[in-house]
Amino acid sequence: MTEVDAELIEHMSNPKNYGTIDGADAIGIGENPENGEKVIIHLRVTEQDGESFIDDIKFQAMGCMTTVVAGSVITQEAKGITFSIGEQLIAVTLSMLENVPSEEAACSEMVALSLKAAMDTYTHKQSDPDFGTVTYKIENSCVVEPSVENREQK
Amino acid sequence: MKNLLIKTHELWLETLMAGFMSRTDSRQKLYDFSNIIFRHFTWIERGMINSGESYDYDRDSIPIKVENLNSILININTRMSELDLQLVACPDKSLAQRISSDIKYMQKVISGMKDEPVTSFDTSRKLDGISLTPEATDALTLFLFEESYKEYELILIYNYLQAHSDDAFINRIYQIMIDESNFHLRSFGQMMSEMGILGVPRVIHRSLYQVESVEQFLRDGIDEEIAAKEMCKELSDAVVKDSKELAHFFDFINFQEDYHITLMREALEHYEKAKLDG
Repeated sequence: MTEVDAELIEHMSNPKNYGTIDGADAIGIGENPENGEKVIIHLRVTEQDGESFIDDIKFQAMGCMTTVVAGSVITQEAKGITFSIGEQLIAVTLSMLENVPSEEAACSEMVALSLKAAMDTYTHKQSDPDFGTVTYKIENSCVVEPSVENREQK
Repeated sequence: MKNLLIKTHELWLETLMAGFMSRTDSRQKLYDFSNIIFRHFTWIERGMINSGESYDYDRDSIPIKVENLNSILININTRMSELDLQLVACPDKSLAQRISSDIKYMQKVISGMKDEPVTSFDTSRKLDGISLTPEATDALTLFLFEESYKEYELILIYNYLQAHSDDAFINRIYQIMIDESNFHLRSFGQMMSEMGILGVPRVIHRSLYQVESVEQFLRDGIDEEIAAKEMCKELSDAVVKDSKELAHFFDFINFQEDYHITLMREALEHYEKAKLDG
């Protein structure tokens, strides 16, 4: 069971960076192929000294509250950073999920991959302005397997 | 009209939230008003469908953190005045007049409401007269955030489907589902307010209500209702030691899901039969 503290309540009642950006520079989608849950990230990017900066970021979640909290936390971290630090943020997030049960990891993976998708969309758009939207599918499953006891009962 | 729909949507939610915040007779009045505003919302929506104007359920965030009821009532009053001015954009003049008349009455009543302190944001996470273990409190907190959003989502999905259907059999089912979700949202919202964790549900993505296949939505919905039953049962088990009353409430919600599942199956069969009949 997740332990609830004031920070978690704040993310649930007032998710940070929730919504869309009109005229976003790039959009990316992280999707759970198992149940169609999705996270959509919108980015506004500025170029400075040869680096791409995430000037503004918004997300929308079609998923559970855990996904919303992960979106709120990760987009806060991502706001104002360069793409290269963004790649590190994604890598660290995904590596932290390796030891987390699959059904708990799925939501954060979906947010991290949607950020990666948005950054990759932006990069593609630099050479092809008509490029569409990158979508990445998660590997973790958020379906809880029945326990041994439950299987036996069945 | 599009802006009118958005502003009416925001006013409906803000009035409902104010109802959750009140602990006096004002609560029921605010609930009644939120119902009236929701009906305005559906009428405006119907007008847009009739005129072929595209629309969605997007809206701005609604700041509701206040320390006394008067503060949010002033905001609601201001929103109502702004909405009244925007009614000039409504081509159906008799509808505009009806809404304007309702607004003026509601403003008058709201202006006379007594102020009261609001504790809906103090994060006390305590329910009156009930002492829950920290584990049960956490489980209840997570449940309320998850399910209050879900009920809001369902109200809008069923409302959208109803608005785009002329089938009386199906619309009867959708209306029952809207009414049930309204009841659940109120129950959960009141609890959240009492526990000091009130929040406005997040904006729902248009792909959730502009569904490609109603049948698939109903099939997924039935699975979700079954999952919700399990959540209610787990929560009932978690709180039963501390509060039989609260456990009974979640058992009640659990058994209501059976009713929803039956209705959704009826709707699904109806769609499938209509498809077979060509």
